[in-house]
Amino acid sequence: MNKKLFVVSGALFFAACASNKDVIKIGTIGPLTGDGQSYGQDNLNAIRLRIDEINDAGGVNGKKIELVSEDAKCNGSDATSAAQKLVNIDKVAAILGGVCSSETLAAASVTEPAKMILLSAISTAPAVTDAGDYVFRASPSDANKGRELSKYFEREGYKKIGIITENTDFCQGLRTTVKNTMGSGASLAFDELVDQGTKDYRSLLTRLKDTDFDVIFINGQTDATNVEMVKQARELGIKQPFAGSDTSDSATMGQLAPEAVEGMRVINTSNKLGEGGADSFAAKFRAKYGEPKANLSYATLGYDSAGVLAEALKQVPTLDGAALRDALYNMNYAGAAGTISFDKNGDVVGIGYALKEFRDGKIVEIEDIEISLQ
Amino acid sequence: MQLLVNTLIAGSFAAIMATGLALVYGVLRVFNLALGQFALVGGYVTWWLVQPLGLPLPVGILGGIVCGALVSWLSFEIAVRPFYKRHPLLPLVSTIALSQILDGLIQLIFKEQTRSILIRAKEMVHLGSAVISMEQIKLIIFTVVLLSATAWILHSTSIGRRIRATVAHSQAAESLGISSALLHRLVFIISGTLAAIAGIYVGIDQNLTPVLGFTITIKAYAALIAGGKGNIWGAVIASYFIAAIEQLAVGIKWFGYYLPAGYQGSVALMLIIVLLLIKPTGLFGRTSRFA
Repeated sequence: MNKKLFVVSGALFFAACASNKDVIKIGTIGPLTGDGQSYGQDNLNAIRLRIDEINDAGGVNGKKIELVSEDAKCNGSDATSAAQKLVNIDKVAAILGGVCSSETLAAASVTEPAKMILLSAISTAPAVTDAGDYVFRASPSDANKGRELSKYFEREGYKKIGIITENTDFCQGLRTTVKNTMGSGASLAFDELVDQGTKDYRSLLTRLKDTDFDVIFINGQTDATNVEMVKQARELGIKQPFAGSDTSDSATMGQLAPEAVEGMRVINTSNKLGEGGADSFAAKFRAKYGEPKANLSYATLGYDSAGVLAEALKQVPTLDGAALRDALYNMNYAGAAGTISFDKNGDVVGIGYALKEFRDGKIVEIEDIEISLQ
Repeated sequence: MQLLVNTLIAGSFAAIMATGLALVYGVLRVFNLALGQFALVGGYVTWWLVQPLGLPLPVGILGGIVCGALVSWLSFEIAVRPFYKRHPLLPLVSTIALSQILDGLIQLIFKEQTRSILIRAKEMVHLGSAVISMEQIKLIIFTVVLLSATAWILHSTSIGRRIRATVAHSQAAESLGISSALLHRLVFIISGTLAAIAGIYVGIDQNLTPVLGFTITIKAYAALIAGGKGNIWGAVIASYFIAAIEQLAVGIKWFGYYLPAGYQGSVALMLIIVLLLIKPTGLFGRTSRFA
């Protein structure tokens, strides 16, 4: 009986190995459940779209790409186990992800020693820049976004700045850069850190209300927490303007509390990335998955990250990690969001920001912001 | 003043959860770890009736409560009744399994998205220096009514007397002819229904995400244990007490400094640990005698 089982499982094992030769496995890491899922899903759907297109066109060097998707729930510990599974069990060729910065930073500790490419579409924490030689990203670092937010505060004449930060890598990174790049004469009037996933901000906001400040930067990790901060602040009668970043650039916030978010300003990669005519990425994405749950740019950058990676895989048929890395450093890829290349740290060059505003529950872009490298 | 209002809002929600928990623990001696999920069922069903279906709010609330009761009844039959007489810890495991199944079902049915039952801006009322919304006033008053009703049932009806007798001494109560099977089922459903009501609170006052369940359960347990296990009024008072500490921790200056807001939750739990070190039976627990 045992012998039979052994033979059968052995045969299955070899069958599995044989079939592996015809496909290239790519892993993905991102939040598919939990508070961060709206952008995790947008990102993954766009990756699927690009991979399907590549497979329909014959694959990469005659091999089909197979996706292995892992849910890292926007936290480091799940991302570490996901990366370990993808590296050691699935033995993927490269990983697209993570989505949340905490995921990318944690996964990098597994992929870097394994010399495996970790290409994140939208992780923006400054720390990702130094996360490793094999870590790349398709979205500009928050070192830039923090600076642009500071410049925006200066332009509007906001001197006393308040920040409420959710305690995650992404939010902490943004808080630090805003703090360090504030213009002369500007100061932090209110700077508080809250536990991840907090929903009751009333007492903290009661204190904020008694503080003299010009603008409050809503620096939460997900739209679910941001919308509560904004809603409860308006309910308490706080009148000052709100500012936000990526995580507030979410259609969900406009749907959940249209009155409270009215007028809120957000700096993030442009929503129009990928927008265009009938052949554009946006049209293809909407036809297959409907409106993006958070915003289009997350999907567009996911789509391009898959495209860039596939291009690198095409150039390196051996799928060797170091060769793939060099291919990415030399990449000049015309994607849906723009022309993508990477600097010496693996950070994207060529993607800028836009200043956006909530009007009648919808997000409207007011102006483009080109990132000036200082 | 605003802090008092904030405490009442947060405490009302916690008190309802803790009442249900204390009832179940007091009567069945069972830990139900799926209680937070019952709350989500209530909240999500109400959201579904009010938002996509466009029914009036009271109908939605009623639907949420009925569904919460049904789910807790089913849960009792499937995950609790077959096990709890054999060993009191068995339901601990079976309700964890149940909580994960319910989590999965909620995600499957209601999708992974942040939901809010009321979308329009709320009508704010000024009470002296404090601000509060009409909805929140209703929630606070409703909690008082609900808790008073529970008190009345417990102290002035025959069912209440049976419940109290079972809490005091289950074997003696049974030998006096109190049918425990029926009573246990009833108490479990009441606790699930109370949880569903609490879930509707969250959906109206804040927003619902499918991952909220476990957090809700843990907070209710903190109140249950701080209040003295199985002591309903202890749990209610402990809920308001924890809420007050959480709000005061970040809301006022301590020795000239503000406490970082990130410690809000930990401060409350730390105080519970200190409390239990001083008085291991909880705030209002009876010192039990082992003879």
